[in-house]
Amino acid sequence: MRDLDPRSKLLMVICISTLAIVYQEPMQLLLVLLVSTLILFLVGADLKKVMQPLRKMLPLLLLLFLVQCIFTRQGAPLLTVYGIGIITDMGLNTGLGVMLRIITIIISAMILLSSSERDFLLALVQWKIPHEIAFMVMVGLHFLPILREEALNVYYAVQMRGTELQKISTSQKLKLYTLIMLPIISGAIHRAEQMAISMEARAFRAFPQRTYMRKLRLKKIDYCVQIGAVLACVSLLVLP
Amino acid sequence: MSLNIHQLGYTYPGSRKAILHNVNIDFRSGEIVALTGDNGCGKTTLTKLLVGILKPKEGCICLDGNDIALMSLAEIGRRVGYVFQNPSQQIFCPTVEDEIAYGLKNMGLGGEEIEKRISYYLDYFELSTYRQTFPLSLSQGEKQRLMLAAILAMHPRYVILDEPTTGLDIYRRKLLGDYLLRIKTDGYGVIFVSHQSKFMETYADRIIRIENSQVTDDQGEKSDARS
Repeated sequence: MRDLDPRSKLLMVICISTLAIVYQEPMQLLLVLLVSTLILFLVGADLKKVMQPLRKMLPLLLLLFLVQCIFTRQGAPLLTVYGIGIITDMGLNTGLGVMLRIITIIISAMILLSSSERDFLLALVQWKIPHEIAFMVMVGLHFLPILREEALNVYYAVQMRGTELQKISTSQKLKLYTLIMLPIISGAIHRAEQMAISMEARAFRAFPQRTYMRKLRLKKIDYCVQIGAVLACVSLLVLP
Repeated sequence: MSLNIHQLGYTYPGSRKAILHNVNIDFRSGEIVALTGDNGCGKTTLTKLLVGILKPKEGCICLDGNDIALMSLAEIGRRVGYVFQNPSQQIFCPTVEDEIAYGLKNMGLGGEEIEKRISYYLDYFELSTYRQTFPLSLSQGEKQRLMLAAILAMHPRYVILDEPTTGLDIYRRKLLGDYLLRIKTDGYGVIFVSHQSKFMETYADRIIRIENSQVTDDQGEKSDARS
């Protein structure tokens, strides 16, 4: 499974995400989560890397869980304080569902990280997606870490000019974040312009046909995985 | 005011090899220090550690005897100014004037004092004609001068510049060097990262070479020993 074609991985991710969005019951979502974790393990993804964003998102996930638990009023009360129902069974179900759904989508997206971005570009092109669009998607993904680093630099710079982030109000923080966006957007536009010039200077779209040095070829296991993923997804959605 | 590094070590997360190990340096006020070494030897990492952006894994950095790991970036920034290799990444205000005023407002200074300092530093760095200009539209050299102005206006005791000569022509390099000498005579300690040996020899009082994660040559320390 480690050498799986990126198209097979993309198809699995689409199937998992679809199930995660359609399913509402925590037990069903837990099952989808377990399957996607197993696939992640089988494709050879670095589990430590997977845990990092999940760990960072944990407070947000818990907050979402609590908000859903408390503000869903339907269902039978499970926890009451002075006769007022705080948590209902439906609230608990909804909270768990939201949390599991987000974790599943993140984990399924991590399956894609086990292939290189160049392979994904080839995969999208071989799926007859126009090269310009596939290239744009890949460039977008490629620049995300750079944008993150730039945002961090501005964030540090703002603090180094005397802003105590812990001590300012939320409205001041929001104002500050709009300031932080200024160099990031400006940098992104500047980089896009430079890149466009550099690409055109190297004949991007100058000729009607573009060739590739490598071609992805589906193996037997890819056919099995793709057919299996689509069949499993459709039957799970159709079956009562 | 003193800035000292004791037994400093740093390893990037996910890396097994320490980028800096057992580094000891004392920086003095009124001195220009150049940090040099091959690409990836840890010069920029050292400057980021000096301003608290990165936290040491071993040893400590003391500012006036206080460990900077226990200070906020804002507290450090008031005493140690930092100009990034790419100053565009630390410009975030709509005008040149606002850029200089930002730190001064955070320091709680009055309007009159802020105005005085803005005018002084715009004049000092020959930026007065750009007062109302959008700072990100300035040239690289002008952005660098703007960042120096914005940082020096806060009256820190040390200024750290990461590769300030990158992309500057000979004339602008000389201008920058002369600015460094001017601020040195005003009592600031200057630390800059560079690969340009001529620039370092002309303007630095002390050149520190970093190799294999350690300080392998400290000319200032040698001249101190000789004297």
